[in-house]
Amino acid sequence: MMYQYHPPVGRALSTSRDAGLDKGAAGFSERTAVETPRLSLRPVVDGARFSLRIEPKGLEAASKVLGLALPKAIGGAASSGGRIAICLGPDEWYLIAPPSEQESLERGFAELYATTIHSLVDVGHREVGIEIAGAGAAHALQAAIAFDIEAMPFSSGCRTLMDKAQIILLREAEDRFRIEVWRSFADHVWELLQIVGREIELGI
Amino acid sequence: MNDHRIAGKGRIDRTRPIRFTFNGTGYEGFQGDTLASALLANGVHLVGRSFKYHRPRGILSAGSEEPNALVGTDRGPGRFEPNTRATMLEISEGLVTTSQNHWPSLERDVGAINDALHMLFSAGFYYKTFMWPKSFWNKVYEPFIRGAAGLGKSPTQPDPDVYASRFAHCDVLVVGAGPTGLAAALEAGRAGAKVVLVDEQAEPGGSLLFETDAGIDGQSGWGWLKGAVNELSALPNVTLLPRTTAIGYYHQNLVGLCQRLTDHLASPPEGAPRERLWKLRAKQVVLAQGSIEKPLVFDGNDRPGVMLAGAARSYLNRYGVTVGDRPVVVTSHDSAWLAAFDLARAGVRIAAIVDLRANVAGYLKSSASALGIEVLAGWTVTGTKGRLRVSSVRVNPAGGTVGGAQMIACDSLLMSGGWTPSVHLFSHSKGKLDWQDETQSFLPGEHAEASRCAGAGNGAFGLASALAQGAQAGAAAAADAGFEGTASVYKVEGEFALTGASKRELPTDRNAATAKAFVDFQNDVTAKDIRLAVREGFKSIEHVKRYTTNGMATDQGKTSNINGLAIAADAVGRPAPQVGLTTFRPPYTPTTFGAFCGYNRGALFEVMRKTPIDGWAQANDAVFEPVSLWRRAWYFPKPGEDMHAAVARECKAVRDSLGIFDASTLGKIEIVGPDAAEFMNRIYTNLWTKLAPGRCRYGVLLGEDGFIRDDGVIGRMTSDRFHVTTTTGAAARVLSMMEDYLQTEWPDLKVWLTSTTEQWSVIALNGPNARRLIAPLIEGIDLSEEAFPHMAVAEGRICGVPTRLFRVSFTGERGYEINVPARHGRAIWDKLLQEGQAYAITPYGTETMHVLRAEKGYIIVGQDTDGTLTPDDAGLGWAIGKTKPDFVGKRSLTRPDMLKEDRKQLVGLLTENPKTVLEEGAQIVLSPDQPLPAKMVGHVTSSYWSAALGRSIALAVIEGGRSRMGQTVHIPMPNGTLRAEITGMVFVDPGNTRLSA
Repeated sequence: MMYQYHPPVGRALSTSRDAGLDKGAAGFSERTAVETPRLSLRPVVDGARFSLRIEPKGLEAASKVLGLALPKAIGGAASSGGRIAICLGPDEWYLIAPPSEQESLERGFAELYATTIHSLVDVGHREVGIEIAGAGAAHALQAAIAFDIEAMPFSSGCRTLMDKAQIILLREAEDRFRIEVWRSFADHVWELLQIVGREIELGI
Repeated sequence: MNDHRIAGKGRIDRTRPIRFTFNGTGYEGFQGDTLASALLANGVHLVGRSFKYHRPRGILSAGSEEPNALVGTDRGPGRFEPNTRATMLEISEGLVTTSQNHWPSLERDVGAINDALHMLFSAGFYYKTFMWPKSFWNKVYEPFIRGAAGLGKSPTQPDPDVYASRFAHCDVLVVGAGPTGLAAALEAGRAGAKVVLVDEQAEPGGSLLFETDAGIDGQSGWGWLKGAVNELSALPNVTLLPRTTAIGYYHQNLVGLCQRLTDHLASPPEGAPRERLWKLRAKQVVLAQGSIEKPLVFDGNDRPGVMLAGAARSYLNRYGVTVGDRPVVVTSHDSAWLAAFDLARAGVRIAAIVDLRANVAGYLKSSASALGIEVLAGWTVTGTKGRLRVSSVRVNPAGGTVGGAQMIACDSLLMSGGWTPSVHLFSHSKGKLDWQDETQSFLPGEHAEASRCAGAGNGAFGLASALAQGAQAGAAAAADAGFEGTASVYKVEGEFALTGASKRELPTDRNAATAKAFVDFQNDVTAKDIRLAVREGFKSIEHVKRYTTNGMATDQGKTSNINGLAIAADAVGRPAPQVGLTTFRPPYTPTTFGAFCGYNRGALFEVMRKTPIDGWAQANDAVFEPVSLWRRAWYFPKPGEDMHAAVARECKAVRDSLGIFDASTLGKIEIVGPDAAEFMNRIYTNLWTKLAPGRCRYGVLLGEDGFIRDDGVIGRMTSDRFHVTTTTGAAARVLSMMEDYLQTEWPDLKVWLTSTTEQWSVIALNGPNARRLIAPLIEGIDLSEEAFPHMAVAEGRICGVPTRLFRVSFTGERGYEINVPARHGRAIWDKLLQEGQAYAITPYGTETMHVLRAEKGYIIVGQDTDGTLTPDDAGLGWAIGKTKPDFVGKRSLTRPDMLKEDRKQLVGLLTENPKTVLEEGAQIVLSPDQPLPAKMVGHVTSSYWSAALGRSIALAVIEGGRSRMGQTVHIPMPNGTLRAEITGMVFVDPGNTRLSA
């Protein structure tokens, strides 16, 4: 397919699904999952990710494009059919979607721009996903996150600091969390969680 | 072995013997022993030498306040720790311990000569002795002081242990698990509050562990303790943390806790952390820290065998150890009598109870009489004898004048000057302390945080008061945290009401000026030192403290501050509060550096950011350099090449054919919205409105002060979308600055900013063959000169992957910056390298990038600028959109000072000797023949060997530099003054013909 010289206004770039080229990438997903009875750490399979900035009055229209009602309250998260939306700020949402929906979402938002201005930026390669699950998950996170993890409601998310790395933390279930972190900070977060995992394993 | 144990006494587990060594001798103790209790059980009192006078010292206390019994511990390779308090150290199988501060041995120590020469070492002797001659400071005095300083030896090996950290949150934090803290935690826990109860000891219980007279609600103290701990352990909302010291109390009820996890284990599990630092945020805090017993101050009060009476009671009741066969008790407080009674009942013959007070409660006297103990009420202690352990005590009647002396033989001397409430954490929290004249102590007054003090730490002594205040504080704290509870009422039986009198140095018939009556045992400060300091003019306790070092050792004066204050106040002749109280500072007790470091050591010391292409650089022998948090390939030496050769080769390859460079670390910001161009107009100096989509422009960013903050190439992707690049180090700063302006100054603008630094891998291709390499790999972009000239940007595909392709150059050669989604970066890099073999493609690092850009006079913000250069100073006046109504920094650029002609301006420099590469940072003068100090007119900012020119080049800032073209300046260096000519900044291809070659 020939690529357009100037993409439509507001359109974000799509990523390639040319599988052959992903090999040899500084692949965080190549990390081996850590599985212990009370804690597991797994790299999340890469998907489409966007940073959506839009005024709240455009929420309904954006929700329609996304096929998921965008949460209105900061910290709120919603998910359906593999799509996840987290409200990070008064006009900021973090979107995750299956890779197959990358282009249709980009197209949908590009069309929306004509009637509802916003900013949709592809951050799919900026971020790395880490799943933290198990009875010790909250404890593991609490090693380097300052706010009260236990008090974090299920299906909520926020931007915060883990040790020295900015992350987005999503609580998917009682004992399952997901971290989204900029790729060059991911090693630090992963290695820290691994060390903390040893404490959890020992019950110390 | 263990011949000083009393059968059936104590809480140690006699079925679990533990072997350890002290100074190479093997001993046996039991599970539950501290090093101090185990040594005493083996009859060992001499455990160290004092700091200044090298006096033999023993064990003073049974808690964390210990100033004397500091030992070295060795838990295996790399695990040596000095100055560990023997009273807090739990023994474990195979533990190796040593005494400190002596040579050749603990028993025979050459340093003890200091004791005989004590008159030379009076207060402030450093300041008096080491004043002159000045030349002695570096060579003689400092090495001497450094050698003499400190007690233990610093470890020399890196600490192999792991340390943990944890944040935590609770409704009620209770500090101290004595009766007060237990009662508080019980109420708050029963009310349903999330409670954390911490205690520095291995076992909760506090005074209940050794004050065994009284019963609670029909049970013995120990029985009640067991029930309380069981109940708390069973409550899921209560966390009980023994071996955990609350080290500091910070703003908004943040309390630092240091938890000791594995030191007490003979063989900790592999990888288990040694300690954990908790940063705990509590809605309510209950401080139940208890109190610390005060020593009495008299000549010879520091000999091994002299200890606090409460400690002796603790060793007896908690550890089943008698501290002597023939103790004398000297006291001004009733509590020491109880220690004597417990010992007597355990079969120890008390030689005498010497009480400073003439009037002592009748029940104490009658109990003493019933136990056959001689009582000397209204007597004083005026000296002790015994070289390595006390052997006799000198006592005198003290009514009015001090009467004739009498010697009493003894093997231990138990003293008590009363009890000081522990207000350390309360004081950390900036709570106000009130002086109680009657008890000569400071008590918590007004609280600054959501906290409560209860029990002995609040001046409420005695078990019944402790339980009552604890229960009330716990219930009230729970209520304030949103839980309902009522304070239980405890019935305490068999408790004695204890009273005491506070004393300064004890009265003596001898010359007080020669008495070694210690106030601060750890820093060897005596009563006469404090009086001398006052005589020499120090009137405030803060000054007295620093002059005498009283309370300045690692124990922070837990046993010495109040005695020191009482003596200083007496010497000054003012009430204690007017002399002042020294400030308590965290940590409460010495804390390991490891605990503070936590996980941040080794690979986790700091984030090391790596690009997706870093792995290739590592595999291909790159030398790296740190750039902010990133590590970047600096240069790629081939076998046998030094940096100079590698950089020269890399530079030549770029100019001759083709170089490839990982520019992924460049900061990137996506600016999207209908007001994107307007936002750009306001934030950058340049004019953006007329920049067409598909074109780039070099942008300069100023602060409000008009000085250059950042620069970068910015591409306009569409009318509403810009792709901004920033310098590597300033990416986060620039985004923050933009957000700040957007949110606070221009909230009306419809535009949004998103960091895309890590979305893209950026591969820079530079050299005459750059286009030839990519032409067959690119789809969707017409690379012809007409369609895609220098400073163009387009979207398309490379090797099937989407790309934002920039036609830019930071080298002066034809250049492309290929942005691809980060996960594809490495694959595209590999592909380009492979295809580039036809053009002898050469990877280059940041050093070559620096040289190539300097040859073209392209500046690096932060290297050629230092926060004081305007665009005009840097030769970038052309980048200012003069027709724009405003941009950040515009008004500052018109200040008269900014328009002066002699401002430092960036220029080129060519050294007279072409082989001389100037030193970056070297100062520049106009004439070498001026009186010193010469007037400096600028400095060298960038300096390199240029392979292209076969000579050195440099950039420099020089006052009025642009008006001095062709002039010679001088650069004074240690080996002579260098000469250089001021030139323009472009050294290679001034006509920019190579950009499109």
